[in-house]
Amino acid sequence: MKRPDPERVGVVALRVVRQLKRDRRTIGLILFAPIVLMILFGYALSGEMTGVQLGLVDNGGHPALRSYIESQKDFDILYLGSQSDAEKLIIEGRLDGAVLIQPDGVGVLLDASSLQISERIAAAVQGGAGQEEAARKGSYLPITKRYIFGYDLEMIDTIGPAILGLVAFFFAFIIAAISFLRERTLGTLEKFMVSPLSRVEIVSGYILGFSLVAIVQSATTLLIVIYLFGVPMRGNPLDAFAIILLLGAGALALGSFVSNFARSEFQVVQFIPLVIIPQIVLCGVFWPVQSVPSFLRPLSSILPLTYASEGLRAIMLKGASLPVIMPDLIFLGAFFLLTFSAAILMLKREVG
Amino acid sequence: MAVDKSPAVSARAVTKSFGQLRVLDRLDVEIPRGVTYCLLGPNGSGKTTFIRAIVRLLRLDYGELRVLDQPVSHVEEIYSKIGYMTQHKALYPDLTVEENMQFYSGLYGIKGQDRDQRVEDLLGMVDLAPHRKRLAGALSGGMYQRLSLACTLVHQPELLLLDEPTVGIDPLLRQTFWEYFQGLAEAGKTVIITTHLMDEAERCQMVGYMRAGRMAAQGSPEEILRQAGLQPRIRLWLARPEDDASLLRSLGYEAELVEGTVTVTLKSHAQIKELLAQLNPQDIRLYEPRLEEAVLRLSEEG
Repeated sequence: MKRPDPERVGVVALRVVRQLKRDRRTIGLILFAPIVLMILFGYALSGEMTGVQLGLVDNGGHPALRSYIESQKDFDILYLGSQSDAEKLIIEGRLDGAVLIQPDGVGVLLDASSLQISERIAAAVQGGAGQEEAARKGSYLPITKRYIFGYDLEMIDTIGPAILGLVAFFFAFIIAAISFLRERTLGTLEKFMVSPLSRVEIVSGYILGFSLVAIVQSATTLLIVIYLFGVPMRGNPLDAFAIILLLGAGALALGSFVSNFARSEFQVVQFIPLVIIPQIVLCGVFWPVQSVPSFLRPLSSILPLTYASEGLRAIMLKGASLPVIMPDLIFLGAFFLLTFSAAILMLKREVG
Repeated sequence: MAVDKSPAVSARAVTKSFGQLRVLDRLDVEIPRGVTYCLLGPNGSGKTTFIRAIVRLLRLDYGELRVLDQPVSHVEEIYSKIGYMTQHKALYPDLTVEENMQFYSGLYGIKGQDRDQRVEDLLGMVDLAPHRKRLAGALSGGMYQRLSLACTLVHQPELLLLDEPTVGIDPLLRQTFWEYFQGLAEAGKTVIITTHLMDEAERCQMVGYMRAGRMAAQGSPEEILRQAGLQPRIRLWLARPEDDASLLRSLGYEAELVEGTVTVTLKSHAQIKELLAQLNPQDIRLYEPRLEEAVLRLSEEG
């Protein structure tokens, strides 16, 4: 075997540097993407929650517990008159949980579909009970926990539905971005431009073609999540399918749009951290949106995966019906229309 | 049916710059219908840019451009009449020969038996019929080029724009191509071809020689030779060259002595006969001017 020649290595290295020098986008991404991502991760993982919607029914007897819970910054407290009100609001998804203060003990109603939130509520009640016991010099305060959605879910159950959305989004995005780019480099896109094919047709054809892939892919991932990981499917699987497909269509359109800014596959890959990771971090995939600090929350509320994971959780874990997930579907539809129009407009601008 | 006499492409003062670089510089050209027209010129002279302007892949800074009697701003409406073959080949390597052709047929709404017939004919023309099931990516460079041409022809365009279509194609097949192009021109279609190869240009009915974004010369190859002031010359081996040279000069010929022979610049080919009648050369050699010389001379003048 020939020994590596440092001079040749230098020639190659120089060429790489030269290419990079002409590629400002890559330089920018190499420098700034990690900074942005580290900031996101840092904040999101700091573990402080705010905006957890907690119902409180106080039938008296434990002022220390009540004031302890009220002092927690994590919760937005809604004062309710009865336990049945609390249950109703939890079922509708308007409360993340509720605390029932009774003279003879404390009841906790939890929405088990977000494990971290229910643990946080349980921990707060535990802490409050400790205060209460100390105030009464040791007398024991019984706590009864009840999950509104049946049983104590495992981590995978709560994360599984969101991962479904994530996987669909990720692959649809990359496939569309890279193959649209290939059209460009092969020269076929230019040929399309000089054919009766319109821009809308080009993008639509693309999305339609890849939708087939997306359908197969979402079906298999759905089956894996349900049968391999045993995540429940309480609602209609077709509703879940609708969410995944709509999300996938949005990701395809976004990929087509983003490919306009890439001149090579290399650059497409660099868009992955920028487009995908914020969604992992901010959209309630692994940890609830409530744990995202409030100044980043607006970002969460414009990212499609937030709505997809919310909708999928509602369908799979709570058996939510179509009207309940309608807002999620509407947002995903709007996101698709937006990225679709952007992709078409971008194609138009290409004509120099 | 009335024959459309309007030019296939007419450009007036067409100008396009990329940043500081002016690629098309007040270009004037008129390309009639039913001809094979060669856009000749060195690399970077603006040939490809002009082709791209014709199909409106770029917008002009200035000037008037009409394509098949339509202003270029409306060229979208007649895309189905245009066949455009880029230097990029524009094929899908992961589709077979046949599939690529079917795809492009589909873009133009050609289907069923009509499609199968056209695909069949064109595969025969480009000599790829035995390879129809092969992946385009597995073809040799020349075959790939041929497939690209076949895909461009599948919708029988009225105006063909071929950017260096014969690169990498062997001489025999190149001959077939030229015959095919000439056939298309005879059938009233217009074939515009860019090349930097002189022998290709000589096969075209018309040549436009581009340099620095302008037409340095245009016309039939013969007209270009005339514009460049190039004439055929005849070299005569004579027994008494000095005497004969002065005799010829006195008769008004442009004659000079070269290495003991007499070279006469001909005003027309008819002069050959006159010369041979007056003199009795031991040997003769005729020098026909080449397009290449003409083009070089025109370049130097510019």
